[in-house]
Amino acid sequence: MSDRTIPRGGAARVLDNPWLGRTAILVLAVAIYVFPLIAHSDYRLYLGTQVGIYLLVAMGLNLLSGYTGQPSLCHGALLAIGAYVTAIATVDHGWSFWPAALVGMAITAGAGALIALPAFRVSAWYFALITLAFAEVVGGMLIEWGGLTHSFSGVVGIPMPSAFGQSFNAAQLFWLVATIDIACFIMMANMMRGRFGRGFIALRDNEIAARASGISLVRLKMFAFVVSAAVTGLAGAFYAVQKTVITPDDFTADVSIFFLVVVVLGGSGRLWGAALGTVAFFVVPELLTSLQAWRLLIYGVVLLALMLFAPHGLAGAIASAWRSLRVALGASPRPPPPLATAPGAPTVQKVRGMAVSIAGLLKRFGGVTALDRVSLKVEAGSVHAIVGPNGSGKTTLLNMICGFFRPDEGSIRLDDVEVVGRSTAGIARLGVGRTFQTPKLLPELTATENAMLGAFAAERASTIEVALWAPRARREHAALAAQAEHFLGFVGLGERVHEQAGELPHGQQRLAEIARALIGRPRLLLLDEPAAGLSLTELDKLGALIRSIADLGVTVVIVEHHLELVADICRHVTVLDRGTVLAEGTPDAVFADPAVIAAYMGARPLAEAAS
Amino acid sequence: MDLDIIPNGLAAGSLYALIAVGFNILYRPTNVFNFAQGDLVMLGAMIGASAMAAGAPWVIALAAAAVFVGLIALLENAVAVAPVVRRSSVSHAWIISTLAYSLIIDNLVGHAWGPDPIRVDPPAPLSTTTFTVAGMRTSSYQIALIVGTALMILLIERFYRTRSGKAVMAVAEDRDAALLRGIDPGRLSRWSFFLGGGFAAVAGLLASPVLYASTQLGPALLIKGFEAAAIGGVGNNRGALVAGWILGLAEALGGSLLSPGYQQASTFVLLLVILLIQPRGLFGQPEARNV
Repeated sequence: MSDRTIPRGGAARVLDNPWLGRTAILVLAVAIYVFPLIAHSDYRLYLGTQVGIYLLVAMGLNLLSGYTGQPSLCHGALLAIGAYVTAIATVDHGWSFWPAALVGMAITAGAGALIALPAFRVSAWYFALITLAFAEVVGGMLIEWGGLTHSFSGVVGIPMPSAFGQSFNAAQLFWLVATIDIACFIMMANMMRGRFGRGFIALRDNEIAARASGISLVRLKMFAFVVSAAVTGLAGAFYAVQKTVITPDDFTADVSIFFLVVVVLGGSGRLWGAALGTVAFFVVPELLTSLQAWRLLIYGVVLLALMLFAPHGLAGAIASAWRSLRVALGASPRPPPPLATAPGAPTVQKVRGMAVSIAGLLKRFGGVTALDRVSLKVEAGSVHAIVGPNGSGKTTLLNMICGFFRPDEGSIRLDDVEVVGRSTAGIARLGVGRTFQTPKLLPELTATENAMLGAFAAERASTIEVALWAPRARREHAALAAQAEHFLGFVGLGERVHEQAGELPHGQQRLAEIARALIGRPRLLLLDEPAAGLSLTELDKLGALIRSIADLGVTVVIVEHHLELVADICRHVTVLDRGTVLAEGTPDAVFADPAVIAAYMGARPLAEAAS
Repeated sequence: MDLDIIPNGLAAGSLYALIAVGFNILYRPTNVFNFAQGDLVMLGAMIGASAMAAGAPWVIALAAAAVFVGLIALLENAVAVAPVVRRSSVSHAWIISTLAYSLIIDNLVGHAWGPDPIRVDPPAPLSTTTFTVAGMRTSSYQIALIVGTALMILLIERFYRTRSGKAVMAVAEDRDAALLRGIDPGRLSRWSFFLGGGFAAVAGLLASPVLYASTQLGPALLIKGFEAAAIGGVGNNRGALVAGWILGLAEALGGSLLSPGYQQASTFVLLLVILLIQPRGLFGQPEARNV
């Protein structure tokens, strides 16, 4: 290495060293724990604890609204539930803080589950309004159930938690809250790099991709709601002991909006978003006092400006500034990701292909009959093409095989299993992979992470193991990352594994989708127009790829307009026309069939040629 | 049981239906559910009340409120909706940006008009003086409100069967395809916001003799209007009317059987139960999936 390159390379080496980040975090953690010793003021200590409590709520909200994309306007009300349960149990019933806080957490989690119930089948904006209505109801009940909540006068004299017969002092409460914040942050970070993070983002950015990857929307959404509410309920318990008095006025609709502003300001769906947003609000305390009367206006203007100009908030702005700084210092914009640690390339074992048997399939959309009693058999392990003019029902057929649509009549058997009526996720878990006409990737994740999503259902590490990043979760993650890179290499994307999926060209996004389907080890792969818009060389590579997929034993059903490709790779072709089977057989026989030529080319030129 | 809950419930329900129709006017062509709608209704009530206090006749006050609030909604489209929808038509960023716009209106109106509710008289010859008919206490304004709302909604539904109405539906179905057919979605969005805002103002002024004009109305009306729209099936105006009446009656019944504090809880439970059974509402069309 020559002398001149050392400074630049040196800068990159420093920046790329994983210890840089670890050291920074360690310094931050030490600073947090030392804070009560150097605060020298009860007020500062009080504010510090309050930051910690708000941060807990913001992290819970970021999980639900940021990562999972379900904007909640009731986190103020959930905070109220946690706080009131703790306050009532300790003051009116003499409980100790610890069981009271646990019960408060559980009841808040239950409330989260309740409002989640209708959210499974409706859009995100419905959910936002349902949460708004829920917050209004909770606000009303705090006053209505005066016998329990003491109505407007609130609960007074909430005691500090105590341990070993000693009541906590302010510094100890700060340490307790800080420890819970840090633990929560670490668990959140672990969850987000594991399968849950990918699943949550899939729920937010592309539910269809999530379902096709075998993710049960109901279970994952419920999980996000319950965890988010439980964390907020725990924050409520600390809120109560810190304030010592709580009244309904502490939990107005503005409080829910405040937390939403905090999360959007910090960076919604970013790991550090909640922390940055919370701290930013306390750095400008004037906002909370002298401009009180204009608070809603300020919230509104800040939210609107962020949505328009900085949708990723402070965390997004800092990340892009950091990338620019790295480039200025001569390093690559992003640090090179750690090499996959699993030894060698994973061996891809052959699978037993799945046979498809469709009988009398009928599907109407309003007055249009998309499929009119279609019957079709696909042999196990074969490559079978479905061709036909636009609107002939090809994609509808694929959508019914993988359960996106339910047929009006007829049966679909995969091997010997009837799948009509099963959920998309359930069918995917049987071993059915799928790609889409317009690729459905998660644009903010890398190609590798997108591919890993396809293995969601196959991962075995439990929630706790993932949250604590236990050895099994770690091993599974490493093995999966290696597999994802292997399959991306297999489809020809070996060089771009760490690029964001949204930055890949269209043709390569299709290939990444194939890798995502393959990592789930499908026995049946459904490809919807994989060749659309590919160049001639890319087309040859695709043909070779599909052949090597078939060599693994996988049954491939391909919907395709490119007849040369079809003739090249398929043994069987089914031609659909206006929802019925027009012809089937080998490519040579089918493409020579006059009825097929007429349907494809239009009847008139053929008739003219004949005359 | 007190029979008064029937006219009271139907009158309140008619208002909820009107707000829901305002949502629908906006939602149909844009697929945006305006979180500022409650505040637009409230703003309409305040402007109408002030115009009448200044001596303007009811009709003029109504027109002034409708035009002004229509323009405020047009501004909302320009600053809070069009920019985020342009960036990504599938994202839900408009939830937060329209919510932000509602906070701004809420705060500014609060400062301009102050917290005290303003009493608004109904247009002559109607009055809120009560009389008893068939054991129910009601007023001529209540009856006019119930009947007038039903007529207005039937009239709007007729519009959707005309050529312009079908253009609106076409854009909702597929923005790009509508563009190819010579329908300008941007222009249609602007018109929808203007009309949706104007309609919100009408609903606000109609509500004010019953509810009083107050800056506190915004969020509560947003929730009630949403509940009526969701139960009736979003986009379905006749559904909104029936749902509004159901909600109004449920609220009045819950309030009279338990206590007035349970009004919100009873409609919320009704909403949860109906959405659990029928996610698209009682009269909603199944939405085509985009696979």
